Amino acid sequence: METLSYFLPQVWFGILALFLFLYVMLDGFDLGVGILSVTASSEDRRDILMTSLSNIWDANETWLVLMGGGLFGGFPLAYATILNALYIPIFVMLFGFIFRAVAFEFREQSTRKVLWNLAFGGGSFLAALGQGFALGAVLKGIEVDAKGHFIGGTWDWLSWQSILVALTLIQGYVLIGSTYLIWKTTGELQETHYKTAKLASITTLIGAILITIVTPIFYEQARMRLFDRPQVYVFALIPLLGVVLIWLLLKSLDRKQERMPFVWTILLFVLTFLGLALVVFPYIIPSQITIYEAAADPSSLVIMIVMIGALIPVMLFYNLYQYVVFRGKITGGHYE
Amino acid sequence: MDFLSDTLVLSRMQFALTAIFHMLWPVLTTGMSIYLVIVEGIWLKTRNKDYYYHARFWSKLFVLNFGIGVATGIPMEFQFGTNWAPFSEAVGNFFGSVIGFEASWAFMLEAAFLGIMVFGWERVNSVIHYLSTILVAVGSNLSTFWILTANSWMQTPAGGELVDGKFVVRDYFEAITNPFMLNSVLHMFFATLETSLFVIGGISACYILKNRHHEFFSKSFKIVVAAAIAVAPLQLYIGHLSGEQVYHYQPAKLAAMEAQWETIPAGQGGDWSLVAFPNEKAQKNDWEITVPNALGYILEFKKELTLPVKGLKEWQPEDRPHLVGLIYYAFRTMIAIGFFLAGLMLISTLQWMRGKLSPENISQQRWLMGSWIFAAPLGYIAIESGWIVRCVGRQPWTLYGQIRTVDSASNLPASNVLTSLTAFAVVYSILFFCVLYFGSRIIRRGPRFDLPIPGLEPQPALETQPGEFIPDERPVEAKQ
Repeated sequence: METLSYFLPQVWFGILALFLFLYVMLDGFDLGVGILSVTASSEDRRDILMTSLSNIWDANETWLVLMGGGLFGGFPLAYATILNALYIPIFVMLFGFIFRAVAFEFREQSTRKVLWNLAFGGGSFLAALGQGFALGAVLKGIEVDAKGHFIGGTWDWLSWQSILVALTLIQGYVLIGSTYLIWKTTGELQETHYKTAKLASITTLIGAILITIVTPIFYEQARMRLFDRPQVYVFALIPLLGVVLIWLLLKSLDRKQERMPFVWTILLFVLTFLGLALVVFPYIIPSQITIYEAAADPSSLVIMIVMIGALIPVMLFYNLYQYVVFRGKITGGHYE
Repeated sequence: MDFLSDTLVLSRMQFALTAIFHMLWPVLTTGMSIYLVIVEGIWLKTRNKDYYYHARFWSKLFVLNFGIGVATGIPMEFQFGTNWAPFSEAVGNFFGSVIGFEASWAFMLEAAFLGIMVFGWERVNSVIHYLSTILVAVGSNLSTFWILTANSWMQTPAGGELVDGKFVVRDYFEAITNPFMLNSVLHMFFATLETSLFVIGGISACYILKNRHHEFFSKSFKIVVAAAIAVAPLQLYIGHLSGEQVYHYQPAKLAAMEAQWETIPAGQGGDWSLVAFPNEKAQKNDWEITVPNALGYILEFKKELTLPVKGLKEWQPEDRPHLVGLIYYAFRTMIAIGFFLAGLMLISTLQWMRGKLSPENISQQRWLMGSWIFAAPLGYIAIESGWIVRCVGRQPWTLYGQIRTVDSASNLPASNVLTSLTAFAVVYSILFFCVLYFGSRIIRRGPRFDLPIPGLEPQPALETQPGEFIPDERPVEAKQ
């Protein structure tokens, strides 16, 4: 039973990390394309951008719903405390989602598209912004009492560190959105996004460097973990690998490769994610509540691993399948 | 305006508002997903082009509603954490798991195959396409299953108990198959189906009445009538069973539904009030019209009640549901609509049997078509009323008899909740009118009959342009 109460929360933490990663990667390019749509030079181009997402945005967003449900069931205390603390960023994200989702439906039907263009671009930006602040706030730490309940203030999530994280996350989304568009489009549109990808990779790099420097300086907890042997070698390796990946990404952009920029970006996301997971683990509310303290009853974790975990291969399969069905470049602005 | 500074009230209002709006969209898509399976099935079986165009036309309305359903549904999941953190923490073991099951079993299935269903006509073969349509329907209805399971469990918590303020599950199967589960799932399943059928029927009737593609729409109309023959009476029956369950498991809710203040002892016949003016302060109805002894017939199909019907006065004011008038009238609205729709179905069936629904006659059925148009929004009203009865009637409990609503709300500054509540009210109202506007636009444009039909190859050029005939003038020996 002792081992079980260590083992089960770890498995479930791993599953949630997977969901969160899939979400950040998939809805990341989705939101990135949305933010980029603000800069689209014509309605035709915007049509293509939206068509490139129309069949997948919903499935991409579902990974977040899955993550939310999994966190609720797997770590009820963390779900309650984190969402309670992040009231404002969460609602900013939710309203972003609403504007964006309805833009898909209404823009198609509408003759005056300006409003819905704004809803799509602005909604994507708000969703990314809310997520960035949420991530920044969780990393900075949430104030809780002895029972793990939130006792901080309404605006705790807002700090210069969380602004930095939010801006970097938005840059990262724009980067992966650009590389996705390079992959899915041709001609002038593709050219445009070689440029946006390059710009975004540089701004993302700057953000990432700042975060890497800031984290050990300002967070004692993180510093202790980071500079503890033997982790220090792993943590030293991550920024180095990151620099290598950015270099490979820039190279492939210069060579006008079509798919590799997207692949390098995904690898960058994987790397960043691993870094974050290593800093956070075994806490689910960093440096306050561990996964063992927040975990649901072992019986709940078992049934969730059976009922949800076992379905992961199936869910991955049918997501992959629909990417296969809609493979290839986007040509026109419409599916009918 | 005290409530503006009361976080609990504001959080409740926000949840009610978002739930009431959200429900409007999945109700249609869940029921319509089954209709789309039927229509595409007929198309594949008969290869009659009309059914293909039906599939394409109705799926446009489907997608419009689906997108809004997703957009308004995600806030529902997150509100449990933001506004109801203590509740979430207490019931996460079961309730949270079920929310996770919904996402993984239902939502992902639906989302993944929706793209293929809507945009994939030209990209996959007809079997895969049909399978996608079926899987979207399965996903939508599994969603109903899990959500209703979660809500039923809040009404009749089973399968474990509260230990130190946290619900610990002893038996998951028992919790899932809690006493309310089966009837609630079925009641909602038929509710979405019936609502969708009457919406599709109402829109079809609109075209028929205007003599626009009336032959085409008489086809969808007949499918709807044929399906409603089974659905409308079954729904009345399941509704009755649900009412009986409330009588046994949630007597305080039943008392509110009937505005019954005094207990009727066992062995007596109870009067059933048709119209009443409940007065919560005075704990009586200021005014009412009653049908003598009808309550016994309604609850047990006989005059004398075997069990007492407890009156609201049996409970301390803080232990009974408030807003008795709302619950009372919402309940009556739901029932009235249920009977009206069943009656309309009956009359339509009679007319059909008399041959009045044939393409030549159907346009003359003006009052019948008019009634169907009138009936189109009624299903929604019935569903919303039903949910008001279910969830306002559950008060003052979130987890019935175990966790109070007062103890379930997050400790938040009221201004935060007021801001998000106002934003929801504004945005959702705009969305509501946008959907009406764009939906009616889709309807005004009508079906497109120029869409390419999958599986039909374009005619090869050789056959459409026969070459010139050149007689073979070679000697017979050379013609081999």
